[in-house]
Amino acid sequence: MADTAATRSGSKQSTNPADNYHLARRRTLQVVVSSLLTEAGFESAEKASVETLTEMLQSYISEIGRSAKSYCEHTARTQPTLSDIVVTLVEMGFNVDTLPAYAKRSQRMVITAPPVTNQPVTPKALTAGQNRPHPPHIPSHFPEFPDPHTYIKTPTYREPVSDYQVLREKAASQRRDVERALTRFMAKTGETQSLFKDDVSTFPLIAARPFTIPYLTALLPSELEMQQMEETDSSEQDEQTDTENLPLHISTDDSGAEKENTSVLQQNPSLSGSRNGEETVIDNPYLRPVKKPKIRRKK
Amino acid sequence: LPGKWYAQMYILPLEFKEAHQVLCLFLFLSTLGFVELTIFPTVANLNRIKLNSKQCRIYRVRINDLEAAFIYNDPTLEVCHNESKQRNLNYFSNAYAAAVSAVDPDAGNGELCIKVPSELWKHVDELKVLKIHINFSLDQPKGGLHFVVPSVEGSMAERGAHVFSCGYQNSTRFWFPCVDSYSELCTWKLEFTVDAAMVAVSNGDLVETVYTHDMRKKTFHYMLTIPTAASNISLAIGPFEILVDPYMHEVTHFCLPQLLPLLKHTTSYLHEVFEFYEEILTCRYPYSCFKTVFIDEAYVEVAAYASMSIFSTNLLHSAMIIDETPLTRRCLAQSLAQQFFGCFISRMSWSDEWVLKGISGYIYGLWMKKTFGVNEYRHWIKEELDKIVAYELKTGGVLLHPIFGGGKEKDNPASHLHFSIKHPHTLSWEYYTMFQCKAHLVMRLIENRISMEFMLQVFNKLLSLASTASSQKFQSHMWSQMLVSTSGFLKSISNVSGKDIQPLIKQWVDQSGVVKFYGSFAFNRKRNVLELEIKQDYTSPGTQKYVGPLKVTVQELDGSFNHTLQIEENSLKHDIPCHSKSRRNKKKKIPLMNGEEVDMDLSAMDADSPLLWIRIDPDMSVLRKVEFEQADFMWQYQLRYERDVVAQQESILALEKFPTPASRLALTDILEQEQCFYRVRMSACFCLAKIANSMVSTWTGPPAMKSLFTRMFCCKTCPNIVKTNNFMSFQSYFLQKTMPVAMALLRDVHNLCPKEVLTFILDLIKYNDNRKNKFSDNYYRAEMIDALANSVTPAVSVNNEVRTLDNLNPDVRLILEEITRFLNMEKLLPSYRHTITVSCLRAIRVLQKNGHVPSDPALFKSYAEYGHFVDIRIAALEAVVDYTKVDRSYEELQWLLNMIQNDPVPYVRHKILNMLTKNPPFTKNMESPLCNEALVDQLWKLMNSGTSHDWRLRCGAVDLYFTLFGLSRPSCLPLPELGLVLNLKEKKAVLNPTIIPEAIAGNQEAAINPSSHAQLVGFQNPEDDHLAKEASCNMSAHQQGVKRKADTPLGSPLEPGQILEKNEDSSKVKLKIRFSNSQDEEEIDMDTVHDSQAFISHHLNMLERPSTPGKEQSPLEMSMHPVAAAPLSVFTKEPVSSKHSDHHHHHHHEHKKKKKKHKHKHKHKHKHDGKEKDKEPFSFSSPASGRSVHSPSLSD
Repeated sequence: MADTAATRSGSKQSTNPADNYHLARRRTLQVVVSSLLTEAGFESAEKASVETLTEMLQSYISEIGRSAKSYCEHTARTQPTLSDIVVTLVEMGFNVDTLPAYAKRSQRMVITAPPVTNQPVTPKALTAGQNRPHPPHIPSHFPEFPDPHTYIKTPTYREPVSDYQVLREKAASQRRDVERALTRFMAKTGETQSLFKDDVSTFPLIAARPFTIPYLTALLPSELEMQQMEETDSSEQDEQTDTENLPLHISTDDSGAEKENTSVLQQNPSLSGSRNGEETVIDNPYLRPVKKPKIRRKK
Repeated sequence: LPGKWYAQMYILPLEFKEAHQVLCLFLFLSTLGFVELTIFPTVANLNRIKLNSKQCRIYRVRINDLEAAFIYNDPTLEVCHNESKQRNLNYFSNAYAAAVSAVDPDAGNGELCIKVPSELWKHVDELKVLKIHINFSLDQPKGGLHFVVPSVEGSMAERGAHVFSCGYQNSTRFWFPCVDSYSELCTWKLEFTVDAAMVAVSNGDLVETVYTHDMRKKTFHYMLTIPTAASNISLAIGPFEILVDPYMHEVTHFCLPQLLPLLKHTTSYLHEVFEFYEEILTCRYPYSCFKTVFIDEAYVEVAAYASMSIFSTNLLHSAMIIDETPLTRRCLAQSLAQQFFGCFISRMSWSDEWVLKGISGYIYGLWMKKTFGVNEYRHWIKEELDKIVAYELKTGGVLLHPIFGGGKEKDNPASHLHFSIKHPHTLSWEYYTMFQCKAHLVMRLIENRISMEFMLQVFNKLLSLASTASSQKFQSHMWSQMLVSTSGFLKSISNVSGKDIQPLIKQWVDQSGVVKFYGSFAFNRKRNVLELEIKQDYTSPGTQKYVGPLKVTVQELDGSFNHTLQIEENSLKHDIPCHSKSRRNKKKKIPLMNGEEVDMDLSAMDADSPLLWIRIDPDMSVLRKVEFEQADFMWQYQLRYERDVVAQQESILALEKFPTPASRLALTDILEQEQCFYRVRMSACFCLAKIANSMVSTWTGPPAMKSLFTRMFCCKTCPNIVKTNNFMSFQSYFLQKTMPVAMALLRDVHNLCPKEVLTFILDLIKYNDNRKNKFSDNYYRAEMIDALANSVTPAVSVNNEVRTLDNLNPDVRLILEEITRFLNMEKLLPSYRHTITVSCLRAIRVLQKNGHVPSDPALFKSYAEYGHFVDIRIAALEAVVDYTKVDRSYEELQWLLNMIQNDPVPYVRHKILNMLTKNPPFTKNMESPLCNEALVDQLWKLMNSGTSHDWRLRCGAVDLYFTLFGLSRPSCLPLPELGLVLNLKEKKAVLNPTIIPEAIAGNQEAAINPSSHAQLVGFQNPEDDHLAKEASCNMSAHQQGVKRKADTPLGSPLEPGQILEKNEDSSKVKLKIRFSNSQDEEEIDMDTVHDSQAFISHHLNMLERPSTPGKEQSPLEMSMHPVAAAPLSVFTKEPVSSKHSDHHHHHHHEHKKKKKKHKHKHKHKHKHDGKEKDKEPFSFSSPASGRSVHSPSLSD
């Protein structure tokens, strides 16, 4: 199984040198894992478990490397030393003393060294312009300046369009282009009608499709308009809530304000009667709850 | 009314149950219900009760819990019988009028005749209460109730399915049995059981809403305690959203789901209308509540019923819409005015309709004046006046108060029309619209005469009398106060004002026609007198002579002076002394009528005359058309300085004839004047375009209005770019909309639209920017497309080449580009009411008609389909109608006719007929390949039987038939070779009815002997033409009987209890007739019975009731339709007896019937003969002579 994976990855080898490099390392790790397993007495292993173990091993080694590098940089060096690694292992809870004994164990399997493959060369970024030399106060071991275009300001000389006429012109033609493109697209993707029998593409009309409830699209404002309306509506709504409160004011002191409110109150004596009872509720028969049916005696 | 069998109904409990499946399975819409009427007999010998009912299937009738026999017959289902080859409209109109009056509730008739069980006769004789209980169902009603059921997923409520009642005049009989009259008042209890998700809105107060036992339905209980006519009862059921009016809590608004925000905005204004009417009428709104319901597929935009109004949902609008707002408000105000006059106060009879329409229209006008201002009001009055004048001159007159005397003139006081004006249901819709228009104008004339104060007092009096009456318990004489009659109204006027308005009424109400004045003048310098000549044309159709005062206003240098001239028989010339000498006061300001003093440049005027302008009848106090001649400069002064919008409008119209630079300047000045009424400015645009076209060779400067528009609406810095839209000022909005449309009418010397103008309009479209506008620009953009369409001129075609894309005119290509884009954008971002689509469709038709684009109706047909918004459909259908005319396409005509018959929306069906009538594919004097026999038959069938469920539609079909073929027999029908047709089966010969030489069509009909036993009818030509014609309408019905007989199956007799069904393509009549006194049941195929009236009276006369014969029936009905009623029974009799001839049980009975009938007939004959003996050159043959062949006793 591991083999097939290897061959599959091998087929990719030729494609990418960087992949190739990493795959070679990984294969070595797999061999290591496999030999360790054999050593431990396993006859065979599922591919998935081998992979998992490989992954763990790789993580472990990576962690060692990362940690060791941190220790070395902590001491202002660039290359890790043995002591860095030892500290790392200690830190990771590994008993370093057992290591020489393990390395010399009898039943250990020896695997061939991985083939020497070159570290892939990272392609150089395209250089543009001359890199600036370090000024005297910067030590020479410091990295070089980046390419000039990354930090040098390039002034442009075109003034922004502020001419009213041009702006309008632009807005108009832009909108027209968008509309045209959109409708053309819709026409191309859907059914069309044409005014000319011999030509269906020059003036394509999107086919008329009947609606199930035609009045909704015809009457309701589009979402865009709705937004606009809401903006303007907020002020109106305030007025409305004011007026909604108005009759309530009157009915609370309705002995005094009867004249103004005659049309409301005296129009229907039964209504005004019920209003006196529950002053704050609008009494409209359509708002009343639906009654439960009476239990009728069957004759 | 004398001879009626009931006085009043009181408490009419009606339960109206709507089965659940009604709104679940819309393919099987049905309604179950029952009505219970409580009636008080007023005459002792009442033995039958007639009610109106159409479409309803009646299961059972009980009177005071006793089963009652009933018969049902509706002669309006099929006016003339199919077998008849009669195809002339005169014949049809008479037959139709007869059929309608045979079921007219005001004459005590009805489709449903219930016999009072003999057990109750005694009860009736004591004038005790009768309770009639009728169980009925309604299966898939085609009229009266309209179901709107969108075909989407979900329950009925989720789909927005709804139903509402609708119709033309009294149409309540379409959905439940009742006395369908505006004059029979009663109180109501209404119950509707509907799906729990629905709301049922009806008249009166909602008392309670109760669930049914399964909790899946609700029953709405309504109580209407104010006596109300059945015709004012209405119903709307749907999953409505409910809005209680925030200002008036007893007012509730209803709309379809999702439209609540629009409803809120639309109705937010209503309380002000309420306040206005209550204030001017000094009368509270009569009902305790008011409901507005907005529904889809409305029959009419506004329909007012007792305490509720049904509106088209398309009236709803948001705050962003400008153009619709005043229109909708006008609709609301109109319906509210009709609540007072029309619903609360009803009418005594059809001839009093004008009072109601007049008053409601008049107070609506007052509301307009207050809301939109005097200018708008006067402009509207002028518009209405022009409309009615044009219509009357075209058709020959609108009569507001027709009086139908008996005898000879019974037929038609308006003989110039192709329909009878005796009934609302025979009236052409256009005529009725004009009738309403005239009614309110006449009310205004009365106001001019007696002052507005008195006028309002009269209204208040009518209302307060009615409201006193309405609060009374049942008392017939009191309740009649709620009905208005012409005489009562006039009496009230004379009581209140003390003025005699009889001459005015005689002139405008009792008489049809308008006045046509021609005026001209000369100034006599020596005498300083204005010699005015006013001529009248009172000989052409639709005109009448005017005698009386006429106001003339003369604007002189020293001021404006009113003169009242007396128009008399022979005086044409009137001398009017002038007040000022010409040119005396050069420097002085000139005082105007309104007291304003202005500086004028007087250089244009005639140096010898002090006259600036003259106006005849400036207050429009006569229904008239004035053609006045004055010099162009006078018109120009009138336009510039007269402050009355009507005068300005008139001068604009007159200036069209004076294409001079001075006119141009006057119009341009008006256009620019901000204070000027916007409608005047708008019409100035079109006038300016016309003048510019007339002056095309001498025109200097840029195209008319261009620089003006640029100055008003374009950016200062870049004149070719329009400002971003800001429609805050409505006046300039309307002007901005109109100017480009008028400019597009400009033409250069080659009669093409100047390239400059087209580019200008295209730029307007291109730079249109509505982002910062508070209002929608959909109407503006639509008008820009209209402008593009206006700029199109006929294509130059070489040898009739086929229109292809390659030879497309480059200008048209640009136009087409815009139209395509607009039309496609509408699919993605639809505009309010799809105004843009509508304009695009119209523009495409213009391009087709002008030969730029191949003429093809396919596009329009797809837009005309059901499922598009109604405005789009109408616009598309208009194009198809136009195509049918221009291309004479039989196929499209058939397509349209098919739609008239089958479209689900009644309004669309009506509109197609209307448009076909207005833009007919051919007319009667025209040769057309479309005019053929099949079409005649098709249209005949349409009006004869295909439209029985909708009065308006039938009248529309009659209008179309008239436009296409005229009154007489269509010329395209072949003249048959044989004069006589032998009917071998019956061994008799009748005159081939297809021979009708045009001129004597009437005579021919008359020649057909009415006796069923006179089998041979020769063709003779009676001398007395008009007499024969008169008789023709009656005879024609008899001829039906003759023809009919031949087809009556002589087959197996029917068993008692068997129901004979006759299925026709359009209607199915299934009836069961019981004669309870003979304990037998007879089943009769009602299709063999032509005239219900005759049939019913015949059968009822058979009933052995001593007090019956003739007593109520004859005097009343004989006078109404002397022949139609009685003798027909003879013919109806025949099939009945032949059918049952060998049925033993019936035998005896039949003989009795026969005898009786003959007696009856004789009686009638005498009567008839007696009446017309002196003139009638022929007599009827004896009906008794069974099978013998009689030659008719007609002789010259």
